[in-house]
Amino acid sequence: MSEVQRKKYTDKEKNSIFDHEFMPHIDSMYNFAYRLTFDEDDAKDLVQDTYLKAYRFINSFEQGTNAKAWLFRILKNSFINEYRKKSKQPSKVDYQEVETYYNSDNVDYNMTSDLRVDAVKDMLGDEISNALNSLAVDFRTVIILCDLEGFTYEEMAKILDIPIGTVRSRLHRARNLLKDKLRSYAENMGYDTDEE
Amino acid sequence: MDKNLNTSSKRKLNCSDESKCFELLESILDGEETTGSREILDEKLAKCQPCFEHYHLEKVIREVLKNKCTKHMVPAELADTIRQKIQEIK
Repeated sequence: MSEVQRKKYTDKEKNSIFDHEFMPHIDSMYNFAYRLTFDEDDAKDLVQDTYLKAYRFINSFEQGTNAKAWLFRILKNSFINEYRKKSKQPSKVDYQEVETYYNSDNVDYNMTSDLRVDAVKDMLGDEISNALNSLAVDFRTVIILCDLEGFTYEEMAKILDIPIGTVRSRLHRARNLLKDKLRSYAENMGYDTDEE
Repeated sequence: MDKNLNTSSKRKLNCSDESKCFELLESILDGEETTGSREILDEKLAKCQPCFEHYHLEKVIREVLKNKCTKHMVPAELADTIRQKIQEIK
């Protein structure tokens, strides 16, 4: 918590912040939680825990600042600390391993260039969702935060506790991995991805 | 002005600095570059085929993610449950 001595909110102020600044984000929070856990009950618990924590630590929230980013950060930390361990998912791809692989000098910008714009346009929501869900959690997270929720790089850096440069590179790699997935869907749909 | 953006006849087929260009294009699409980004973008898309293709593929991927990705409906009782729990800890 901040070392700066903040004023304590009255109960009335707390309720007002909670209702007007926190609760409006419940849809986004639930979507994020669901995409992290892939389980309805876990997602509900995660969102509920996040809101309870948010209320408990409401004095460390500065009114008028970005409540959504503040809540997402709590949710992400709760997920890492509590849910990731008991996740029903099979063992996840070790992020470090993936990061090392994609950090090799030749991050290949061309590897998915044969994926066609029209093929992507024709894809169904479920196919896009499945492609996103198949990514390792750290890659999935940056795409959710950026493309689904519209956070800026700076907000994402704060939510994830990583430097902006890392946000940028992780996002780039995440999208390349996503393009790989979409390309295999496109091939299955019968799009010829090799020719004009 | 020649706005012949949909034909590739005038574009060079190789980009001399793909990494940097693509990184810039991606930042622009993410709304991170504001100073002069429109001009830079117009120039790259008009002159360079790999940049043109990369930009449009990245753009459509962002669009389908934003607009088509299946939304999971929040269970109706969740907000009430949360409010109830808050009352309990007050």
